[in-house]
Amino acid sequence: MAVLTADMVAGLASTGASCRLDETVAPKFSVGDHVVVRNINPTGHTRLPRYVRGKRGIVDRDHGVFIFPDTNAHSEGEKPQHVYSVRFTPRELWGGDASERDSVYIDMWDDYIDPAS
Amino acid sequence: MNGVHDLGGMHGMGPIDPEANEPVFHNEWERRVFAVTIATFGGGNYHVDQFRHAIERMGAANYLSTSYYEHWLHMVETLMIETGAISRDELNAEQTKLAKEAS
Amino acid sequence: MAKHEHTAPPSDPALRVKALESLLLEKGLIDAKALDEIIDTYENKVGPRNGAAVVARAWVDADYKKRLLDDATAAIAELGFSGVQGEDMVVVENLPGLHNIVVCTLCSCYPWPTLGLPPVWYKAAPYRSRAVSDPRGVLDEFGVSLADDVEIRVWDSNAELRYLVLPERPDGTDGMSEDELAAMVTRDSMIGTGVIQAPK
Repeated sequence: MAVLTADMVAGLASTGASCRLDETVAPKFSVGDHVVVRNINPTGHTRLPRYVRGKRGIVDRDHGVFIFPDTNAHSEGEKPQHVYSVRFTPRELWGGDASERDSVYIDMWDDYIDPAS
Repeated sequence: MNGVHDLGGMHGMGPIDPEANEPVFHNEWERRVFAVTIATFGGGNYHVDQFRHAIERMGAANYLSTSYYEHWLHMVETLMIETGAISRDELNAEQTKLAKEAS
Repeated sequence: MAKHEHTAPPSDPALRVKALESLLLEKGLIDAKALDEIIDTYENKVGPRNGAAVVARAWVDADYKKRLLDDATAAIAELGFSGVQGEDMVVVENLPGLHNIVVCTLCSCYPWPTLGLPPVWYKAAPYRSRAVSDPRGVLDEFGVSLADDVEIRVWDSNAELRYLVLPERPDGTDGMSEDELAAMVTRDSMIGTGVIQAPK
């Protein structure tokens, strides 16, 4: 195990540790695609908030390929995949008379979403 | 996991209460927690997904009743013990020793 | 707590971190000078002045603003800001009739290189729970009241992208220098919980 020394601090702070991967993985979705978020309830780690599960949104942009936290947190592999910014309306998320014009944007890994039929 | 950390949309959490001219750290122990965290993270002892999950696993009541840097302290203790870098017994012994010195 | 209690570990965080630090130092797993350097970096060198410099540059330099909106990470690095918790940046622009606000509902993700370490309220349950479901109510608590016809976009930074709001340049600032403009830019305006007031 490396020990972080004082002369390494500036380098760490200014370089960081990106979870972006320089790997070619085919995206499953394109900008403009209508998607539905999977209703999954894993007992382990996930970055899929409950409030968006089962909801419908539209892919707004493709951020590229990243480590998948649900497997990586448990040392089950990096499972590289695309992350997208997906737009949801407050009406879809909260129902009732919530706004249809405002938006909530959430970043979704490929494994969190399916095509909306 | 469906933990209490997953706060989006929950009600009953109270007012936001921003502090004017807030300092970066409020106590010396917060500085120490931050530094020990970055040093052990930067030394490659664990990665960010393990970091977050260790906090998620701390228990709902404990999570809501402790501050941000207490979450981090719990995380570093948990992961350094789980990776075998230190043991719970060693940590308890050190805490007891320091408590005696301080009393 | 009983004075001679040996089994229950102390819950005082000051004592706990002291014990943890001394044990890790003793085992050679951390370096004392590095700890001082880390604290100095994040207490004194990194903070919202960095983000304010980015915003001011975007206000005065249209080409820079375009690069910032196209590839925020690279454009922010042009000004010397990069690294931990800002590895992959996205900048979202406020416009007349459009307001952006950033939250992390799952933890406390925040763009450290441009804004420094987050304030307590950003990391706490009240803001994290309501920013996605009631952004107008949240903005009211910050003293920001938006007209009903203003569109609100909330960005939940649940993944590894870090979001910075490019606030609107206030009216009445035409003759101001880049440094004067940067001095007007508040931390909250770059989170989206504040707006910048026009100079009097």
